[in-house]
Amino acid sequence: MSLLLRNVSLPLAPFVLDVNAELRGPVTVIFGPSGSGKTSLLDLVAGLRPARSALIQLNDRVLTDTSTGVCVPTRHRSIGYVPQDLALFPHLSVRQNLLYGSKTTNETNHLFSFEHVLEVLEIQPLVQRGVTELSGGERQRVALARALLASPQLLLLDEPLASLDLSLKARIIPYLARVRDEFHIPMLYVTHDRHELLALADEMLVLFDGKVAQAGPIREVFNRPANLAVAGLLTIETIQPGRVINAAGELVTVVVGPVFLFSNQQSLPANTTDTYVCIRAEDVVLLKGAESASSARNRLPARVQSLAQEGPHVRVELDCGFILTALVTKQACEEMALRPGDAVTALVKAPHIHLIPR
Amino acid sequence: MESGEWQLVWFTIWVSLLSTLLLFPFGLAFSWLLARRKWPGKSLVETFISLPLVMPPVATGLILLKLLGRHGPIGGFLHRHFDFDIVFTWRGVLVALCVMSFPLFVLFARVAFEEVNPRLEQIARTLGAGNLRVFLTITLPLASRGIVAGMLLAFARALGEFGATIMVAGNIPGHTSTLSLAIFQSVQLGHDSTAFRLLGISVILAFTAVWSSQWLVRSKRK
Repeated sequence: MSLLLRNVSLPLAPFVLDVNAELRGPVTVIFGPSGSGKTSLLDLVAGLRPARSALIQLNDRVLTDTSTGVCVPTRHRSIGYVPQDLALFPHLSVRQNLLYGSKTTNETNHLFSFEHVLEVLEIQPLVQRGVTELSGGERQRVALARALLASPQLLLLDEPLASLDLSLKARIIPYLARVRDEFHIPMLYVTHDRHELLALADEMLVLFDGKVAQAGPIREVFNRPANLAVAGLLTIETIQPGRVINAAGELVTVVVGPVFLFSNQQSLPANTTDTYVCIRAEDVVLLKGAESASSARNRLPARVQSLAQEGPHVRVELDCGFILTALVTKQACEEMALRPGDAVTALVKAPHIHLIPR
Repeated sequence: MESGEWQLVWFTIWVSLLSTLLLFPFGLAFSWLLARRKWPGKSLVETFISLPLVMPPVATGLILLKLLGRHGPIGGFLHRHFDFDIVFTWRGVLVALCVMSFPLFVLFARVAFEEVNPRLEQIARTLGAGNLRVFLTITLPLASRGIVAGMLLAFARALGEFGATIMVAGNIPGHTSTLSLAIFQSVQLGHDSTAFRLLGISVILAFTAVWSSQWLVRSKRK
């Protein structure tokens, strides 16, 4: 898939949406705080609102080109859209909703046959019901199936799980993953939930006030957030101000409070001294007991301050001269018998220390 | 009741029903344009169409009389070229009822259209539906209760119309006389029992129409 968004511009109330990007991932997440223009961007791609200027091209097909006056009507774009409120037609039954855009009568693609879509999303038992009789998770699956049955070439999902609680979300995410793997339809997925992002996406585009703050593969963006705002949005747990004291060798030495840290970040601008140090909680390894050799360049003696359970994980707050957060499995936490006040060693590999110039 | 009174009742119901059916397609299109489209002069046109709701009906009737009479621009044209008269015929009653009921219908139908979530229409478009299909399968069914309620109220309004009708169509028994005109005439002539009989029928008809409309609006909100 290739979705080209060139000079996409749309005035919104507090700012101008201004996007230049080429998205190639099977699943691209549009990530950003509320009101940053994510839904408006999806609307522009679907042709639901006119852009001030834009070239929007899906693979070889120009959908919108304001310079030549091309604007393919929404109904001819072959773009499925699952909006935040799902927009199931309340006066129609589940079956009528599903068949509304179905193109299986002149079927060329068995992948999107009624039976197959229903089987993948496990909604056969719901077909005879009214839309108002569905639970939150069922509504979500029906909306997804309805979009798929129109045989789209691109699927737009606007925070489809936003209204669901955590446990229901966890049950629906595998269905989305099945859609991704079974139907091979590229997806643009709007969310500000990190779990959905990590479970489904390959690449991401971070929007801030209508501008692209960063775009690229998920790992790249998480490991190398472009600025402090992106790091904060990605809820990178440890962000500390530091000072570069040596950037001459292969490793950059940074001091945070009384602690020396080593990073192998090569992309730091020359003469950078003041930086923010970003460390993700899942990149911190804890050792308790006898010292042993380790390849990690950062070995930080620390004391456990607090423990908080988060689903299958435990969030451990450590004092190592600054506050460092680690995320460990519940099982590991029990085996190590971690308690507040325990002395541990926190290990962080040099590539996991990310520096953002201040 | 005398046969003349029955004829009066049926004529009133028939002409009110016809006026409601006649204004329906125009009212529907106009309400949709008000609810869903922006266009220059919209608020001016909207205000103009709403005038019969607030102006004295007799004044509206006078305007219609001047426009549709044999010496008026429209009535004169129709009389000269087609030998077709509106004023002081049943067609005059029909025009007066249409003009007086139109804004009431538009008021209800417009709100009904505005209450339909535009996102549903947009998603229907992403599913391949064109404008007409979206309107017929999404917008119209979801707005239908409000629209039917508007029709019932327009019908009830037509049943009781007096001022504009008497100006445009006069009160010709057997030709243009409606329930409200006949009640007025009976009182003037001191025929109280006839007036009360016609009053009773008016109350029943109006009650049924308004109550049905309220029931529809209430059940829509549930």
